[in-house]
Amino acid sequence: MSEPEATQATPEPAKHDKTAPEDRRIGVYICHCGGNISDYVDVEAVRDALADEPNVVISDDPIFACSDGTQQDMIQAIKANGLDGLVVASCSPKLHQTTFRNVSKRADMNPYAYTQVNVREQASWVHQHDKAGATEKVIGLVRSGVAKSRLSDELVPLRVNTVPRTLVIGGGIAGLRAAKGLADLGIDAILIERQPELGGWVGKLGAMFPHEDSGKEQVATLIDEVKDRRDVTVYTAAELTSKAGSFGNYEVEITLHREGGDKVLNLEVGSIIVATGFDSYNPDDGEYGYGMDGVVTLPQFKELVDATGSGPLSYNGRPVRSVAYIYCVGSRQEAGGNEYCSKYCCTAAIHASSLVSSLDPGIRQYHLYRDIRAYGRNELTYNESREAGSVYVKFDPDTPPEVAKLDSGVLGVTVTDLLTGHAELTLPVDLVVLVTGMVPRENKTLIDLLKLPLGSDGFFNEIHPKLRPVETVVDGVMIAGCCQAPRTMGESVSAGLAAVAQSAALLKKGFAELEPLVAVVDPDKCTGSGECLTACPYDSITSIEWDGRQIASVDPATCKGCGGCIPVCGADAIDLLGYTDEQMKAAIEELVVTEMPVKEPVA
Amino acid sequence: MATVVNPNLMSDLQKFGAPDINACFSCGNCTAICPLADNDATFPRRFIRLAQVGLTDELVTSKELWTCYQCGMCTDRCPQEADPSEFMATARRYAIAKLDKTRIARAMYTSPVAAVIISLVGLAIFGGFFASVQAEEGARLVFGVPYEWIHTVGLVVMILVALIAVFNLAMMARATAKRDGVTAKSLFGSKAAWGRTFRALWYSIGVESLGQKRYREDCADDNPVEPLYRRRWLIHTLTLWGFLALFAATLIHYAGDIIGVPEAVAEAAITPVARTIGTLGGLAMMYGVSWFMINRYQKVSAAAQHSSPSDWLFLWMLWITGLTGFIIEVSLLFPGAQPQPWSYVLFLVHVAIAMELVLFMPFTKFAHVMYRPVALFFYGLAKDEHRELQPA
Repeated sequence: MSEPEATQATPEPAKHDKTAPEDRRIGVYICHCGGNISDYVDVEAVRDALADEPNVVISDDPIFACSDGTQQDMIQAIKANGLDGLVVASCSPKLHQTTFRNVSKRADMNPYAYTQVNVREQASWVHQHDKAGATEKVIGLVRSGVAKSRLSDELVPLRVNTVPRTLVIGGGIAGLRAAKGLADLGIDAILIERQPELGGWVGKLGAMFPHEDSGKEQVATLIDEVKDRRDVTVYTAAELTSKAGSFGNYEVEITLHREGGDKVLNLEVGSIIVATGFDSYNPDDGEYGYGMDGVVTLPQFKELVDATGSGPLSYNGRPVRSVAYIYCVGSRQEAGGNEYCSKYCCTAAIHASSLVSSLDPGIRQYHLYRDIRAYGRNELTYNESREAGSVYVKFDPDTPPEVAKLDSGVLGVTVTDLLTGHAELTLPVDLVVLVTGMVPRENKTLIDLLKLPLGSDGFFNEIHPKLRPVETVVDGVMIAGCCQAPRTMGESVSAGLAAVAQSAALLKKGFAELEPLVAVVDPDKCTGSGECLTACPYDSITSIEWDGRQIASVDPATCKGCGGCIPVCGADAIDLLGYTDEQMKAAIEELVVTEMPVKEPVA
Repeated sequence: MATVVNPNLMSDLQKFGAPDINACFSCGNCTAICPLADNDATFPRRFIRLAQVGLTDELVTSKELWTCYQCGMCTDRCPQEADPSEFMATARRYAIAKLDKTRIARAMYTSPVAAVIISLVGLAIFGGFFASVQAEEGARLVFGVPYEWIHTVGLVVMILVALIAVFNLAMMARATAKRDGVTAKSLFGSKAAWGRTFRALWYSIGVESLGQKRYREDCADDNPVEPLYRRRWLIHTLTLWGFLALFAATLIHYAGDIIGVPEAVAEAAITPVARTIGTLGGLAMMYGVSWFMINRYQKVSAAAQHSSPSDWLFLWMLWITGLTGFIIEVSLLFPGAQPQPWSYVLFLVHVAIAMELVLFMPFTKFAHVMYRPVALFFYGLAKDEHRELQPA
């Protein structure tokens, strides 16, 4: 942790001296994978073939290489034999590359001298009809892996200093709570909100489920708590307009929309939490009568109820004596539409109807639903609303309700009720509430700017829905709240705090370790053609002055090691650490010299 | 064709004492446990649902309301404590009121004050009338009241009631027939249709109304089971048969009078028969009615949990009619006994209440005697049809 290297300006990460290839001591393990490999590949033959390979000190064939016991054996063997290279021929690197890199680390061996050879997906599973051929292929693949490990460099992870400051985009409930959480952990929070006011959706709401707390009041309390803190800086009417740098050291440009012209602010932040929220589904004209007088969406209805206070409920000056709620509007649509469930709307509608009941128990309320998803404690709210006299009418999505004006002047909702023996009922009501779901917010600029990954539903995608729920594939950019998926307020706040914890995990050490598998430029070979600059999708290559001429330089902190710059270089001046030209050539060489069986042509 | 629902049905039903059925979430335990519900009559769940969504006509003109004998098993099993059995009882009260276009039933069910005033006014009119009519010289008298007047008023009351009953029943029967697909052709269109109609009639009147078969056998009775002497089906049967016997005795007397049987023959042959039937019937009815009153007072069963003023009125009128009739009857057993002034008053009361009892038939719990047989007739038809469809 002491004297972390400042890497931004260094054109090349530190390389350690490496042992001469002929002196390398390599261990080879060919995994049976409990029959997945050994049933179709003569594992023993591979083991014996590799035992005679130059530099191979150990050649073994465990039943399960990934098992705890085998891992321990490997560590013992590496230490006892002074190994400086490891090859495990087993499954895909996606599955166990990290496992065996860690084995190497625990055995005090450089983890980047480890090579995973995928002989399960690439040999045993695809050549089940040809054991001899598969065996020959595996021998070639493993030799190739050995060749790669033999020429491996002693790489060390890159260290970058991190700025203990997080940019929170979005001043709704998730963003506000995250900003406070960051500050509580000693990380400066910069909170920006596109609107002139903080609070988002929750800030406009009155009583909310499950505890009847007012959204407005909760937001006001949070704002009060955040307002006087030095470690939280809030900018409203502000947008992120540019982002540069890398995780730990993002340089962001924030544009403040102010009277008399925009102002631009440049800041350095270590991580970014995106909490940009959702939009409420906007029904099409005529969808369930939308556009007719007396047909409103759930947010519009909630606003009406909140504004009513304790007075009689009325709409456009007319008293409301009966209400029909149509559920799943804009949610659970057919393929091509919004196929997801918005999850909050059942309970929100039920809760709004309970508020109506407490205003006046005489108001007749019909809930036309497909399935009620008042999960968890919300089930109790559902029960209470039923007991207060709300009538629940279940319809089949194939026969959705229809809204029309009746001769009497009131609205009529016609529905086939599955619980009354499929009776077709027309409910005369004063107000129709379309229980609308959540849709992703229009945010193209931000998505392009941060390169945020979108799911098929249009919401932002996390890396893993269970184990890495707030991180995105963009290092240091977290997502929270309803920009990720429809959520309740409590769930949004939880997600915001999870993003805080994840930010702290990244920033509290003061530095970050990055994979050293990055591109490096040989200054002597580089002609400064600039080809690679345009090929890099991460803007990691810049042109620098070197020895009196212009050459390319790769920023290892932002380089992802994709290799895109290598083939475009006419001078062959770029190498990818961990996958150097030398290594790859040797690996290919091994495959070429390995004798492949000639297949008999099929008659 | 979509039906426009009545948003006020639930609140209206509550005026008739409906339990809190909002708790019902349509699980159907009640229908599953009901010994009387089957494919030809599914209840109570469906009826609670009709009330919840507001399908008034389907609720009040259904045959299922009248196939229920309110054993209370559904209420015992209801996981939501929505009291389906009491709901069915309320729905019957509501149906009686809704099918009665005079709104007298509604007033008597929903307002105790109205119930008392209407019955007292009725009594005053009948009593006052019979007290005021002057007996002409030589007219035959019953305790001072001219025979002719009793007969004429009785006839008028019965015709009036019959007209109202036919009108109300027609409304109910038409709706039920339409729902069940019963037409004139399906009733009388062929020999087989006639057979089916006859069997349904026999089932309704004979097996069920007079025989009380399912009440006795399927409604294995209340929980806890009452001792036999006060079991519901038994006291109901005694009340019913007692009432029918009294009615028969009156008719015999009346018929003899109309066809002009000589007084001596009547004295010798008709009167003793009529009086024996009447006395036995009166005793049976009073036994049954007394237990019904005790049951309601003690709230022994689901059926006796809730009593509207109209329910009490019906029982009291039956009971007083029975008692006064019996006392008069006994007083006549003493040979040579002279009519006393009190027996004149007693008779006035007896006649006035009996008249009112009959007159109130379409407006009180008594109305079940007209709706239930019709409902059971349709139920019999439905059962018959499905029996025919079943393989032998």
